[in-house]
Amino acid sequence: MKKKSFLYPIIFMSAITAIFTFVLAYLNYSTAERIDFLQDIELKKKILYVFDIPIPSDVPEEIDQVFNQFIEEDDSVEPPIFYTVENGEKTGYAIPASGPGLWGGIDAYVGISADFSTILGLEFISHEETPGLGGRISDMEFLEQFRDLDISNSSDRSYIVFRPASGGNVDAISGATLTSQSVRDLLNVDLEDFLKERRGD
Amino acid sequence: MAKHSAKKIFRLGILDENPVLIQIIGICSALAVTNLMMNSLIMGLALTFVTGISSLTISIIRLYTPKHVRMMIQVLIIAAYVIIVDIFLKAYMPEMSKALGPYVGLIITNCIIMGRAEAYAQINPPIPSLLDGIAAGLGYTIVLLAIAFFRELMGFGTIFGFQILGDWWTPWTIMVMPPAAFFFLAIFIWIFNSKREGEVTK
Repeated sequence: MKKKSFLYPIIFMSAITAIFTFVLAYLNYSTAERIDFLQDIELKKKILYVFDIPIPSDVPEEIDQVFNQFIEEDDSVEPPIFYTVENGEKTGYAIPASGPGLWGGIDAYVGISADFSTILGLEFISHEETPGLGGRISDMEFLEQFRDLDISNSSDRSYIVFRPASGGNVDAISGATLTSQSVRDLLNVDLEDFLKERRGD
Repeated sequence: MAKHSAKKIFRLGILDENPVLIQIIGICSALAVTNLMMNSLIMGLALTFVTGISSLTISIIRLYTPKHVRMMIQVLIIAAYVIIVDIFLKAYMPEMSKALGPYVGLIITNCIIMGRAEAYAQINPPIPSLLDGIAAGLGYTIVLLAIAFFRELMGFGTIFGFQILGDWWTPWTIMVMPPAAFFFLAIFIWIFNSKREGEVTK
């Protein structure tokens, strides 16, 4: 056999690489559109959750329809701000909040009512926290605490305070202290920035 | 290596040469994902698929592969299949893909796959190699599920997310954290090997 020759391994390696690269490129190309669509739906589902709008089913097309019915997008800023409109008036905002977590960045959307008195809901878009520990920030048990949270008396970056501190309104996750603190800090900072800008003070 | 029957191959992969308990390979991911049974099951199935199919491919081309570049070929093939799994999950099972997250990519680095490729697929015909890969993957999956069973039950009081233990159970937070995986893996290896030693000496 020519296996011992100098050229054979090079040709063999190149051929194998070319075959697999071609297969992968083809798969990637043929699924790219569907993956983009699904990722888009994933975000829309999360925004719907932030506003507490029930999701009719898991069919991507139906989620898309409900989203377009209730929610409008302001993409003049990056990442975009979403808002709900009723009778021509804005009734709530979903604003992006992000900051450093324990292992990587955390991106979230937090809903806030149009009179800036209540947090409507919270959902994480992406994070790299430890699964089973910090990763539990995406669990309903944690997220539901942010549903209709009154912040009209809070100010100065203390919208979210973990119990048992005085004025506490949310429970942190045991076993994930650093992640919990990161979430609290990024929410407080980004809420403060948004409210300052909108209230104009 | 002598020809093995399918039964013998599965017996070796799952019991006598269990990758995690006997060969102690692939344990980094076994430690990482075993705090929930669902994660363990998906991880195990994905690994079984990749191990089987890459062993098959490596075995098919083994006679044409120059020996000194075989490892490059193996890594290339394994990586390609893992990416295919990743793309497939993203496009058709987005929920599954979300649950697995970064673990899919980590399958590439799992030493079981390369271990089987080097030890078996490189010197055996395609069909036994496929079975050998699947057997090793199943051996891995079973151990993961066993560890996850205890960790999830004691850490959350649930099995596959269903509440099993009532309110009276105080969850052991340590079970969810990495050290618990070391405890359980060590206990499993200890029990399994002492039983096996007894059998061998008999």
